[in-house]
Amino acid sequence: MRVKGSHVIFSFVLLVTGFIIALSYQFTNENNPGNQLSNSQWRAEDELRNQVLMEQAVNRSLAEELREIQNQINEIEEVVANDERLYFNLIEDLDRLRMVTGSVRVKGEGISVTLRDAEYVQEGENPNNYIVHEQHIQKVVDELLVTGAEAIAINGHRINHQSYIHCIGPVIEIDGHVSFAPFEITAIGDSETLNGALNMFGGVVDQLLSDNIEVRIEKRNEIVLDPYFSERG
Amino acid sequence: MWLPVMGLLIGILLGLSTEFRIPEAYSSYLSIAVLAALDTLFGGIRAHLENVFEEKVFLTGFFTNIALAAGLAFLGVHLGVDLYLAAVFAFGVRLFHNIAVIRRFLIEKWVNNRKKDRDMIEE
Repeated sequence: MRVKGSHVIFSFVLLVTGFIIALSYQFTNENNPGNQLSNSQWRAEDELRNQVLMEQAVNRSLAEELREIQNQINEIEEVVANDERLYFNLIEDLDRLRMVTGSVRVKGEGISVTLRDAEYVQEGENPNNYIVHEQHIQKVVDELLVTGAEAIAINGHRINHQSYIHCIGPVIEIDGHVSFAPFEITAIGDSETLNGALNMFGGVVDQLLSDNIEVRIEKRNEIVLDPYFSERG
Repeated sequence: MWLPVMGLLIGILLGLSTEFRIPEAYSSYLSIAVLAALDTLFGGIRAHLENVFEEKVFLTGFFTNIALAAGLAFLGVHLGVDLYLAAVFAFGVRLFHNIAVIRRFLIEKWVNNRKKDRDMIEE
């Protein structure tokens, strides 16, 4: 068979047709797996959607829980705020009480009372009657406390409600701390009132003087009393 | 006879090996083009068998049909009417018609040949 022009045209047309058909075939082949997959994809999608719904439900319940917890936190905060107010008051009380018990350093106006042994002892007299005894100090301290002294120290040694004053011969022991005459009793408080109370007619000063003890009272603008424990370490 | 077959094979190989990809939106155009190509091809075969084959008519018919079908599909997509169905329908009908004509023609030829053979034997 010889090659005619129609054969060339035929072959050309067949080439184009083959090309288009192959392209179409490939195209459908590529798309078909996608279509077949779509079923499983749909199932997966459904599953995922269910999961999302479940997660949303969980989220909702968690949000509710969160709200509840926040309410609880609010309540707790209120309680804490009340407590804090209470604590603040307690701390104020504590500060005040510490001042009284002598565990903090205090500063303020006050008076200083100095008790000194009599310098001159008459002959034939018992020298024991001419020295300062612990009950004299006790009297002064009691008087000062009654009059409203906020803090008291003897020879710089702070005393509190538990302190004891003990007589050991010529010296005096205060809370295990030995002091010698002269004894300087410093008290913080209203100096006028304290002074007046000590100098009352027939009061402490009079009694001390009658016991042959030299008494000197000084009003001071500022007295600093160290804490009770700091002196003994 | 080998040249058209070679052309078909080369075309198929080219189509399979090419990396050219048509977007999914244009897949209907491709199917229409396939139909148009097949229709023209069978039309050409029929014309060839009926001895009224005209090269120019065949060649222009091939490309015009493809272009027209694709254009119709394009218009249909943009008008919101499935016009490509009309092309599919028309091409399908013509395809079956052409194939039927070719079949009848071939059967007639075969019957004639057998009659001729028998006459020769009888003689």
